[in-house]
Amino acid sequence: MGSEIIVVIVVATALVFDFTNGFHDTANVVATSISTRAMPPKVAVGYAAVLNFVGAFISLEVAATVANDVVSVQANSVGLLAVFAGLVGAIAWNLITWYFGLPSSSSHALIGGMVGAVLVAEGADNVFFADGLVGKVIVPGIVAPILAFVVGGLAIVLIYGIIGRLRPGPVSGGFRLGQVISGGLLALAHGTNDAQKTMGVITLALVANGTISEAEFHVPDWVVVTSATAISLGTYVGGWRIIKTMGSRIHKMDAAQGFAAQGAGATVIMAASHVGFPLSTTQTISGAVIGSGAAKRVSAVRWGVAGNIVVAWVLTLPAAAAIGGVTFLITRAFGTGALGPIVVSTAIVASGVVLFARRSREGAAPGVVPAPGSSS
Amino acid sequence: MIATVVDWDAIGQVVWVSLLSGVGVTAAWAFALLGWTRALEYGREGRAGEAVIYGVVGVAGLAIVLGAVVFGILILTGD
Repeated sequence: MGSEIIVVIVVATALVFDFTNGFHDTANVVATSISTRAMPPKVAVGYAAVLNFVGAFISLEVAATVANDVVSVQANSVGLLAVFAGLVGAIAWNLITWYFGLPSSSSHALIGGMVGAVLVAEGADNVFFADGLVGKVIVPGIVAPILAFVVGGLAIVLIYGIIGRLRPGPVSGGFRLGQVISGGLLALAHGTNDAQKTMGVITLALVANGTISEAEFHVPDWVVVTSATAISLGTYVGGWRIIKTMGSRIHKMDAAQGFAAQGAGATVIMAASHVGFPLSTTQTISGAVIGSGAAKRVSAVRWGVAGNIVVAWVLTLPAAAAIGGVTFLITRAFGTGALGPIVVSTAIVASGVVLFARRSREGAAPGVVPAPGSSS
Repeated sequence: MIATVVDWDAIGQVVWVSLLSGVGVTAAWAFALLGWTRALEYGREGRAGEAVIYGVVGVAGLAIVLGAVVFGILILTGD
């Protein structure tokens, strides 16, 4: 019975993480469409929410990577506690970075939290540092934003070359129409890569609980549906607090640049999802937006955002891993039953409430610009 | 060490697919806009030959975009 309660807590925590992922990332997915007036905000947010939901159903390769290739957990209560601690590590790091305005990446936080918790709980043999962490997370994660930068840059150079001296009115209208397609694909890609990370973690918990055999790995349908729903709801709710982050914070975009950036981001994320690479979708989209801006005018780009991505890289994985490891030790101190997860969950919820209250009283910290890299 | 643990085939696939579809599809959309805009302009000026040629460019660009999107989604869902 104790392990069933822990599974319920882990699933609920994972879905909350998924919801906050969608909440954070709405800006990345829709800001470009809104800033170029391709779509009214309400339509853009609703459209992104629906396509995030649909996207979660189109592939399971990333979920398999997260569940099988980065860490391995034993089918016992310690394994289950490790998954829980990894999730809490990611959520705690996201809360800390949000409060202090530090750049971060939810995806890297999730992977880092899992690695730290499993390392402490089960030892280094259960963490696949080389093939998994380096080969399937770190190297693809470095390649993706650079690739998106190059694709976005090449695309906009070609576009300007092709449309040449056409009258701007009809052309802008045409690219706004194109953004309905490219923005939709970006939302689809986001749902595909990010929702699957949650699916992978929930499936890992089910393996640890013995519900699923590691030898007969599969992602249950209810996991796909709940993860898709959580990220989609998060996207919809998050849409009401955004709008400026990506489009105008990095540089002012025209419709052609928006189209090129969204197309570049969507294709890189989708191609990576197809081969099972769990990316930071925010960093990939940032790369595409910066590339499409730099190709037009280098000085128009706010290069600090690119710096934030580097800072997020250096900080997130080790910090989330450390918190995941410490969280496991704290949780384990209460035994292997449900008491530890209940106490730690209560503590993290209370911490979140306190931080939200303090932040609301203080307002945004002066000089702190929440980076686009502060999400997945 | 990194060279041996990274699945370079998969990364290579991501790179060429992204370059081909990301750059190719946006270029095809630009050709579609070029074709339609020029076709309308030439049509208004009564230059039917040029209007038809640019109309074909526009239709071809649009067909490439739609075909690529459908093909990409089919590939993804074929996992």
